[in-house]
Amino acid sequence: MAKETDDRTQRRGGWVPYGLLSPGVVWLALFFLVPLLTLVRVSLSTQESRFEQKFSFTWEFKNYSDVLSEFGDIFLRSFGYAGIATVLCIAIGYPMAYFIAFRGGRYRNLLLGLVVVPFFTSYLVRTIAWVSIMGDEGPFLDLIRALALDGALDGIGITDNGRLLATEWAVIGGLTYNFLPFMVLPIYVSLEKIDVALVEAAKDLYSGAARSFRKVTLPMSLPGVFAGTLLTFIPASGDFINAEFLGGPKNTMIGNVVQQQFLVQNRYTSAAAISLILMVIITAGVLVYAKVLGTEDLT
Amino acid sequence: MTAAVIQRRAAPRWLRRLGSWTLNLVAIGGFVYLFAPILVTVLYSFNKPRGKFNLVWQEFTLDNWADPFAQADLTDAFVKSLQIAAIATVIATIIGTLMALALSRYRFMGSPIVNLLLILPLTTPEIVMGASLLNLFVDPPLFGNSVDRGFRTILIAHILFCVSFVALTVKARVRGFDWSLEDAAMDLGARPRRVFFRVTLPLITPGVLAAALLSFSLSIDDYIITLFVRGSVETFPLFLAGAIERGISPQINVLASMVLIVSVGLLLAGTAFGRREGRVTPPS
Amino acid sequence: MRRNLSRRQFIGRGAAFAGAVALGPTILAACGGDDDDDAAGGSGGGGGNSLHVDSWPLYLDEESAALFEEQTGISLTYTTVVNDNNEYFATIQPSLSSGDKVDADIFVLTGWMAKRLIDLGWVDELPIADVPNAKNLVDSLVNPAWDPTGKFSLPWQSGLTGIAYNRAAAGRELMSVEDLFDPEFRGKIGFLLEMNDSLGLVLRADGVDPENVTFEQAGPAFDRVEAAVADGQIRQFTGNDYQDDLIAGNFVACVSWSGDVGQLALDEPDLAFVIPDEGGMIWSDTMLMPKGTENIEAVAEWMNFCYDPVNAARIAAYVGFLSPVQGVQEELRKSEDTAALADSEVMFPPPTADVLAFNPNLDEEERALFDDRWAEITTG
Repeated sequence: MAKETDDRTQRRGGWVPYGLLSPGVVWLALFFLVPLLTLVRVSLSTQESRFEQKFSFTWEFKNYSDVLSEFGDIFLRSFGYAGIATVLCIAIGYPMAYFIAFRGGRYRNLLLGLVVVPFFTSYLVRTIAWVSIMGDEGPFLDLIRALALDGALDGIGITDNGRLLATEWAVIGGLTYNFLPFMVLPIYVSLEKIDVALVEAAKDLYSGAARSFRKVTLPMSLPGVFAGTLLTFIPASGDFINAEFLGGPKNTMIGNVVQQQFLVQNRYTSAAAISLILMVIITAGVLVYAKVLGTEDLT
Repeated sequence: MTAAVIQRRAAPRWLRRLGSWTLNLVAIGGFVYLFAPILVTVLYSFNKPRGKFNLVWQEFTLDNWADPFAQADLTDAFVKSLQIAAIATVIATIIGTLMALALSRYRFMGSPIVNLLLILPLTTPEIVMGASLLNLFVDPPLFGNSVDRGFRTILIAHILFCVSFVALTVKARVRGFDWSLEDAAMDLGARPRRVFFRVTLPLITPGVLAAALLSFSLSIDDYIITLFVRGSVETFPLFLAGAIERGISPQINVLASMVLIVSVGLLLAGTAFGRREGRVTPPS
Repeated sequence: MRRNLSRRQFIGRGAAFAGAVALGPTILAACGGDDDDDAAGGSGGGGGNSLHVDSWPLYLDEESAALFEEQTGISLTYTTVVNDNNEYFATIQPSLSSGDKVDADIFVLTGWMAKRLIDLGWVDELPIADVPNAKNLVDSLVNPAWDPTGKFSLPWQSGLTGIAYNRAAAGRELMSVEDLFDPEFRGKIGFLLEMNDSLGLVLRADGVDPENVTFEQAGPAFDRVEAAVADGQIRQFTGNDYQDDLIAGNFVACVSWSGDVGQLALDEPDLAFVIPDEGGMIWSDTMLMPKGTENIEAVAEWMNFCYDPVNAARIAAYVGFLSPVQGVQEELRKSEDTAALADSEVMFPPPTADVLAFNPNLDEEERALFDDRWAEITTG
C-alpha cells in the first residue's frame, strides 16, 4: 500500500534529489567505502614487519584460508552465541511487544519509553553492573543458592561449579540483555499496525485466541521479527564487550579476536581478512533470510 | 485466503487464561530483566566502597550525590562525550534527513544503490568500521601525512554511522506520506517557503526528532569505533572501560543515574505533551 | 509550471546550502592536521610551556601534578591511556612508523617495550644533561638490560610480580606457583594477560631462567598454562582488573603486581601478596621520549622534578611500587603517615629477594612466536 502512494506522489526532481543526496553520499563514500577498500587491500597483502607497517600487496588469498583454519571454531562459536541470544530475545521480546501493543492501552508510549530508557545509561555501565550482579558473591547467585537451585543449574550446564561469570551463559545473557530493545521495538511497530478488528474477527472464526494468533497475528508481525532479528544478530555476532567482561578465555568471540589482532598483536593482514569474512557472512545471511521470509524491502 | 468457518473446539478456558497470564508474566519479567542492572547502578551510587572498586556493597551514603563531579577526569570525559554527540547529531541529522527526503520524495536513477550504501554500514561490524577508519587516517590516499587522531576523527566516525541511522529512520517515518499535500497547499496559494515550513516540516519533524535522539544516544555510547580513532581523547565509554582497570568510583554510578533521571524525565514530559497535542496523521 | 520550478529551485538551493553548512567546516577540519586541543587535564598542544605525558593509571598523585605546575609554570597534560604495552604500541605505531610525531612528549612503558622502541629508533635520546637529579637513580637500574647506554630511558617505577590471594577464602597461606594449579581452587584462579609476568612465574616454577628464555624452552610452560585453561583451572586473564575480582570474591588467588595489593590490603586485610618460593619477576616502567618531540626543556624539568627525593617519595607513597630514586626510603621515614611504608618489603624488597626479569632481547620474529602462542592460549 505504501509503495503505491509513493509512486503516485513521488516526483522526478531533476538534479534536486542528487543535490540532497550529495553530502551524505560523499561522506559515506569517503569515510566508509574508501576505508573498506583499503581494508580489502590489506587483507590481500603480506605484512613484512609486525612492528613497522609495511605491507606489500600480493594477492595473498592464503590469508583468508589461514584465518579460517585458525579461527573457524571461534567464528562458529560467535554465531552460536549470537543465534542463541537472538532466539532468547524473540522469546522474551515478542511477549513484551505483544503486551505493549495489545494490553498497553493508554500507557503504550510510556511502556515503549521504559523499554528504551535503560539504554540511556552507557553500554559499559550496564555491563559493569552485570559483572556485579553475576559475581560469585553477587545477588543473582545468592538468590540461586537461597532457592537451592545451584545444583540444578550446574547440572544443566548453565553455571560452572557454582559460578556464572566467565561462562558462555554469562556472555549469552549479556548479549540477550543488550539487544532486547532492538527486538522489542520492531516487533511492536509491526504489531501496532495490525487492525484489532481483524484479530477479533479471526478469533471468532478460528474459535480460539491461540489459533487466531498463529494464523493472523504472527504472520503479520513477521516483518518486525525479521527486522528485530537482523538488528540483534548482526551486532551480536561482532560483539566483544560482553565476552571481554563476562566471559572467560574459552568464551572469546570473533570480535575479541579482531580486536586482539589489530590492537595487540599487530597482525593487520589477518585481522583485515577476519573482518571481511565476518562482513560477507553477515551480508549473505541477511540476504538469504530476507528471501526466506519473503520481505522485499530491507527497510 | 478464504475464511471458512471451521468448527473446532476452543481450548478450555483455564488453559487460555494460563496462556494469557504466562504472556503477562514473561512480559513483566522482561521489564524487570531490563531494569535489573539499572537498579544496581542507581543503588551502588549510594554505596561507600572501601577501596577503588565500587563493586561490593558496603554502606549507604549520600556523599557521592553531594559531590558528583569529584572525579575530574571522569567529568571531562563525560563532557567530551556530550560535545561530540551534540555536534555529530546536528550534522548527521541534517545530512541524513536530506538523504531521506531525496529517497522518499523523489524517483530517480540510482536509488537502489544509495539504499545499499546506506545499509552497508549497518551490516558492517563496528570493529571493521573502526579499524578501516584508523587505517584511513593513518595512511590517507592522495594525502601526504597521516591525520592526527583525536576529537575531529572521532566526530567524523560518529557522523558516519549516525547518517545511516538517521536516513533510514526518517525514511521509515516518512514513507507513505502523501506528498501531493504540498501541491494542494500551493494550489491554495502558498509560496514554496511557506509550504516547506507549514506543511513539509511538521510532517517530517517527528521522524527527524526521533532520528536525532537515536543518533545522540548512539554517539554518546559508542565504544568500539571510538576506541580505534580516538588518539588520546577520552570519551565517557572509553573512560569506563579504563575504569574497570583503574578503579570504578561511585561517581560513575552517580553520573549514569543522572543521565537516567534526565531521560526518564524527558520521556514522561514527552508522553504528557504528546497526549495534549493531537497527532497530525496524513490521510492514508 | 513556474511555481514548480521555483519550488524546485528553493528546495535545491536549500539543500545545497544545508549541505555546505554541514560538510564544509568538517571537511576543512579533517584536512587540517592541526593539533587537537583536548585530552583530560590542562591545555595540550605543541611547543612552549606545556608537557604531555601518557602513562599508566594510578601512577601519579594529584598533589605532585599540581606542585609541578606551580613550581615550573609548565601546564601538564597527564593522560592515563596506557593500559597495556601492546595496546599502546598499536596506537603509536601508525604515526611513528611513518616518521610522524605523536601527541605525547613522554610515554611510560615497560622495559621490554622500551627496548623494542629503542631498537626501532622511534625514541630520541633524553636530555639527561639537563636533569641533574638523574644522578639519584638507584644503582641497580643504571644502564639496564633494555637500554644499555642509559641514554633513552629513565625509569618511573619498578614492580614485582607475585601471587595475590585471599587468605580467608584459600583457608591457608599460599606460597608457591603450584598453588595456582591446585585443583582445590579450580575456576577461582586468575592470570595476568601480560605474558612476561604470567609466563615468567610459570617458567620459574619449571626451573627455566626467564632472563634468557627461548621459544623452545618456554614450550612446556605454555603447555601447562594451556591445559589449565582447558580444564577450567584458570578462570580469566586480566589486566589491572584482577583487583575487582579479588575483592568481589571471584578469585581466590591470582598472578599480580606488588603495588596494587599493598593498597588493597589496607582496606581488605584478608588479601596478601607473596613472592612465590620458586621466585618472582621484576619489571620497570620507564619514561621515554618519542622521536620528534620538541618540548625538550619541559621534559627535562619533569624528569628533574620526579627524581627529587621529596617528590619521588610522595609519588611512591601514592603508587605503592618500587621507586627508582635513591633516598626515598629515608624521606618516607620523616613523616608519620608514611613511616610504615618505609619498612614495607613490597616497596623496598631486601636484596635477597629472588626476582628476575623477562628476556628483553627477543627479536621481532621470536617475540612474534611468543605473542602468537600466548594469544592462542588466552583467546581459546
